[in-house]
Amino acid sequence: MKKRILSLLLVALFVSALLFASGDAEKAKAASASKPLSVMIWDSNQEPGIRKIIDDFTAKTGITAEIQVVDWNNYWTLLSAGAQGGSLPDVFWMHSNESQRYMSNDLLLDVTDRIAKSALIDPENYPEDIWSLYTYNKKYYAVPKDVDTIALWYNRALFDQAGVAYPTDDWTWEDLYAAAKKITRADGSVYGFANVNSNNQAGWYNLIYGNNGYVLSEDKKKSGMDLPATIEAMQWMEKMINENLMPPQAVMTESSEDVLLQSGKIAMTMQGSWMLPAFRDNEYTLKNCDIAMLPKNSKTGRRPSIYNGLGWAIAKNSPRTDDAWKLVEYFGSEEGQLKQAQLGITMSAYKNTSEQWKNSVPQFNLQAYLNMQDDMVIRPFSRNTVKWENAVLDVMLKVWNKEMTMEAGCKEAARQMNAILAEE
Amino acid sequence: MRKRSLIHSLLLHAILIGVSLTMLIPFVWMVLTSFKTPGQAIQLDPYVFFPTQFQFNSFIRVFTTNNFLNLYKNTLLLIFFRILCAVVTASMAGFAFGRLKFKGSELAFSLVLVQMMIPSQIFIIPQYQMISKLGMTNTTFALVFPGLVSAFGTFLMRQAYKILPKDLEDAAKIDGLNIGKTFLYVLAPLTKSSLVALSVFTAVFAYKELMWPMIVNTSKDSLVLASALAKMKGQYVANYPELMAASLIACVPMILLYFIFQKQFIEGIATSGGKL
Amino acid sequence: MKKRSLRSATATQTFLWGWALILPTIVGLTVLNIIPLITTISQSFHKTGDFGRGNIFIGLKNYQKLFSDQAVLQSIINTLKYTIVQVPFSVFIALVLAVMLNREIKGRGAYRTIFFLPMVVAPAAIAMVWRWLYNTEFGLINNLFNLKISWISDPAIAVYSIAIIGIWSDIGYNMILFLAGLQEVPRDYYEAADLDGASIFQSFRHITVPMISPILFFVIVTRMIAAMQVFDTIFMVMEQRSNPAMYKTQSLVYLFYQSSFVERDFGYGSTIVVVLLVLIMAITAIQIIAQKKWVHYN
Repeated sequence: MKKRILSLLLVALFVSALLFASGDAEKAKAASASKPLSVMIWDSNQEPGIRKIIDDFTAKTGITAEIQVVDWNNYWTLLSAGAQGGSLPDVFWMHSNESQRYMSNDLLLDVTDRIAKSALIDPENYPEDIWSLYTYNKKYYAVPKDVDTIALWYNRALFDQAGVAYPTDDWTWEDLYAAAKKITRADGSVYGFANVNSNNQAGWYNLIYGNNGYVLSEDKKKSGMDLPATIEAMQWMEKMINENLMPPQAVMTESSEDVLLQSGKIAMTMQGSWMLPAFRDNEYTLKNCDIAMLPKNSKTGRRPSIYNGLGWAIAKNSPRTDDAWKLVEYFGSEEGQLKQAQLGITMSAYKNTSEQWKNSVPQFNLQAYLNMQDDMVIRPFSRNTVKWENAVLDVMLKVWNKEMTMEAGCKEAARQMNAILAEE
Repeated sequence: MRKRSLIHSLLLHAILIGVSLTMLIPFVWMVLTSFKTPGQAIQLDPYVFFPTQFQFNSFIRVFTTNNFLNLYKNTLLLIFFRILCAVVTASMAGFAFGRLKFKGSELAFSLVLVQMMIPSQIFIIPQYQMISKLGMTNTTFALVFPGLVSAFGTFLMRQAYKILPKDLEDAAKIDGLNIGKTFLYVLAPLTKSSLVALSVFTAVFAYKELMWPMIVNTSKDSLVLASALAKMKGQYVANYPELMAASLIACVPMILLYFIFQKQFIEGIATSGGKL
Repeated sequence: MKKRSLRSATATQTFLWGWALILPTIVGLTVLNIIPLITTISQSFHKTGDFGRGNIFIGLKNYQKLFSDQAVLQSIINTLKYTIVQVPFSVFIALVLAVMLNREIKGRGAYRTIFFLPMVVAPAAIAMVWRWLYNTEFGLINNLFNLKISWISDPAIAVYSIAIIGIWSDIGYNMILFLAGLQEVPRDYYEAADLDGASIFQSFRHITVPMISPILFFVIVTRMIAAMQVFDTIFMVMEQRSNPAMYKTQSLVYLFYQSSFVERDFGYGSTIVVVLLVLIMAITAIQIIAQKKWVHYN
């Protein structure tokens, strides 16, 4: 009896498996309109909002789309695997780190003509800097999605407990240092500040440019990591590391800065505007935290913010470029961009939508992010950004872990960066 | 004498229970964490061991953002076809290597041995390139590909066939059965326990595979459980309850199957080792 | 005359049947394994272009790069460290447990089931839990025992913490294999030894170990080969760019993955994996030669 049942089960399994397998094959063959477009992004915080926008799009056009979130660390691995295997998602985020490589290898759909014909997308309405990230040989290969700036998040409760006044618009980096010193507790239960080595765009890059240093030269041929101005700026960070005003690297690698803020472990951290949903959706930060502009550099008076903007790209060999374009067009249209701002997802690239974003979460001083737009520096990139960026981060890891002085670290980073840039 | 064996017994059980706890605590922690709120998971003062209320939010969120049914399906297909391929090809080859003498069989078998000694990563890049060129990424075929034949299985089945008594073959010959029929109808049925062992072994290792599925099936619909978890790893860094919920959902089917088919599992693994 | 033709007919038949039956496997092995082996070795002599386009022959340059690549050399040490800790512990503990469970004791089945459980669960899920257990700030281990140890971010101990996960996972599997072997050992041997006044440890050393040495050998060799390929746990538990312990923990296969699939330099990745192959073959060869000294086959 048992044998019979077992063999029946096996047969049933076999048959259903075959059915599944054939279904698989059918699915692969039919690029029918009923199948959802595949959309790939890396920020799970933005997913719910983007889902809403897609739903509105579907309501309008009947075209469905499915979002796949792959975390930043694996996103590009997966994307290039897909690129090599000939199976990119229909629509996906593009970033300045990689856009050159993808465009020059002819993997993205040229949308220049579609933009020209489109009533919804007028290049005038988006920052030129962002367009340039996704332009190659004078053709457009993506539609700008957003812009982001960096600001300082702080925990009011921890400030109150230490009796320190909240950050103001007049703060300098020295003020931040002083506040962190007062708030950091000797037993390690609270630290004044946190910036992990791998958080460059929203972290220490801003210090460098504030001191009139740079990471990558304008002509993209030379590293600026060993400039005296850069080293000087970075030595502020070294002070924070050496005086233990930040959690040890071991802690920062295991728990990201946002987790540390959410658990009340740190009083201040620099975060990009894209992190808004994460802090809005966490009860602790919603109640206790607020935003201030980044401190000024007391020497130069500068207060720059690194900024970047993602682009919505379409795979060149997508079987449904027309539908994919309709979706991307909607994302980039005024309506789509306004929605993105209102939902508090990110600051939209479309001009004059920031006010909407600012009002999306009244509990936070989002104006700080808008004010940071007064002095913006595009995130440094070149054709092989990832290669030299990773090399620099690895060197910085040693500095953060107190294995190297900042000066030595910066010089070594520059050396490695220049070697890689020379290969480009 | 009695006292001594009582103490021995107590000590024995103490150790065994201790080890059992060590085996179980990670799972218990997985379950507890999955029912906490994200805030509770990172609360330090006081530390939250047991969630006050059992929250299902993590499970709901994980379920709705990941098509687990699809993940199960893909993983099952992978396991099923790997088993099928291994059992069929290994039985045939195992029989031939184990019971037939023919020219070139030694050389051919050395190929089997060679494969068993080589780390699988040697094959990965070219296999990946083959699949890419065929345009077959993101298919079940791609998942099964490296396991279309099984060197280990062949080795195992060869041992299984070797130890069968020769009289059966002779009897079959007298009855007029040719080699093929002898194999299929007389000898193969006798290797059942080894086949079960092979199936279990293949299933467990197919289910655990991470690198291959991760690089060859990258689109959402074609992921398996292992690669889906890997994908979630960076994404939910801040949200441990969701991460644990996802891991739990990934584990549960296999654990259930294990409890039902315990005997086969354990005996299968034992046999696969014992036969060698 | 008739006899001769019958024999040759049988020999031909056997030949045809033999090859027909082994053909799928042999073709499979050739296509899936032998050709890739050659391809990988060949690729180690090339430089790969963007997205796998355009390979350039560069001779031994990859190998030169590798032998002066500190990260790779360190990863060899890391892999060896992992192997030297993970294998002996998981084998020894499993053996002891198997001996304990080899008698008719209460709850034997339950213990067996529990010990084998980690084997059944996907390494990805296991890594996820352990990653959380090990967390310096919020992990259970540090909070339960009031410690502040950075299990997976301290360069000095991270590789051993990873090894602990490996030991934990493998104990059940090894134990089952040993139990199977132990059950083959005739009771009378132990009884005779008992009568002669031998202690538990003496019986263990002089009866148990030699009797199960074939299976012990098999387990040690296969576990060692597997340990040298460690990847999944490291990949799932530690963050590449910010973990200060990564340099002293990443294994050869981990670097292989980084090179081949993250940096998409298949040429260099192939080089790394060829080195791994040579290492594994060398160690396995040593073990096979050494088996004559301690493994007793019946």
